[in-house]
Amino acid sequence: MTDRPVAELSFEEAMKELEGVVGQLERGDVALDESIRLYERGAELKKRCEAKLKEAEEKVAAITLDGDGQPAGLKTVEGL
Amino acid sequence: MTTGLWTHDAFSGHVTPAGHPEQVARLTYAERALSANRYAGLARFQAPLADDAALLRCHPQSYIDRIVAAEPATGWRQLDEDTHMSPGSVEAARRAVGGAIAAVDAVMAGDVGNAFVAARPPGHHAERETPMGFCLFGTVAIAAKHALDHHGLSRVAVVDFDVHHGNGTQDLLWEEPRAVFFSSHQSPLWPGTGAESERGAHDTIFNIPLEPDSGGATMRAAYEGRVFPILSALKPELILISAGFDAHMADPLAQLRWQTEDFAWITGRLCDLAEEMCQGRVVSVLEGGYDLDALAASVAAHVDVLMERSA
Repeated sequence: MTDRPVAELSFEEAMKELEGVVGQLERGDVALDESIRLYERGAELKKRCEAKLKEAEEKVAAITLDGDGQPAGLKTVEGL
Repeated sequence: MTTGLWTHDAFSGHVTPAGHPEQVARLTYAERALSANRYAGLARFQAPLADDAALLRCHPQSYIDRIVAAEPATGWRQLDEDTHMSPGSVEAARRAVGGAIAAVDAVMAGDVGNAFVAARPPGHHAERETPMGFCLFGTVAIAAKHALDHHGLSRVAVVDFDVHHGNGTQDLLWEEPRAVFFSSHQSPLWPGTGAESERGAHDTIFNIPLEPDSGGATMRAAYEGRVFPILSALKPELILISAGFDAHMADPLAQLRWQTEDFAWITGRLCDLAEEMCQGRVVSVLEGGYDLDALAASVAAHVDVLMERSA
């Protein structure tokens, strides 16, 4: 595992690593202390994925809420 | 299968001075509760003596010798502000450890489904070379080491819901990568340890401080959020419980506000996880609990759930 800081990971990278972590934990073939490390890494990755999803949802909300109930086209949102 | 109950008359041979909260009557009350008809199905066992080889899993010989030598011929010997020995204390403490080990053996062998060890003195404050907080030997930590070394397990969980931090168990399992230790406890409260930042040499320790005056809802949220998900992920082969009942709202030594049904709830949830992961293997050992009626009712509720789950 690379153990790059999760803050540097894209949604896709975090999701891919999280799937790997869950797989390892489910197989149960790693030592208990290593399982704890994996669990804690997994919790950070899950948080990262959720934060990225929330960001995306907010961007969508900014578009749909723009205007008087009418689609107002694409609006550049800060951070995009 | 059934639930095993380990006890022994020698536990009443460890006598504390008048007015001491960790008193003989604690077990008298607990055993009276467990003598009701509905407990007829318990498989009852006498707790055997643990020899030095068992104690050496967690304590050096010099410490064992010091404790044995400290036992007075009459009266009491005071080891610290809270911890006393009487004639009979060494036998009681050895049988507490022996009971916990025998319970692990019986659960691992499938002779009983789960087990409760109604012992005193308690053990979870005893450190490697320091008796503390009414405790002489680290009963549950020794049982965990026995499960690992004697039964060849590689993943053991210890859950300590006594209202005081399990500083002794934490000390004894600090460098053990094969055991995970969870301690929930009121904070601030004696012994003052148990911060979340105390994680052990291999990050296998999890402390869950609970605020004074918090009740069952806070405890349930803490366990659902910070204990059970980790336990599920780790898939332990055995769950040991340090079952202190002094988080009860009636307890005179602390200020948490759990009720009897909260002890039933946590017992049930730990049994749920044990059923999912390790054929229901749970060994529970009595620690604190100083309001005699609350202790008796809570022990009864705890054992009720163990019996339901082992049936």
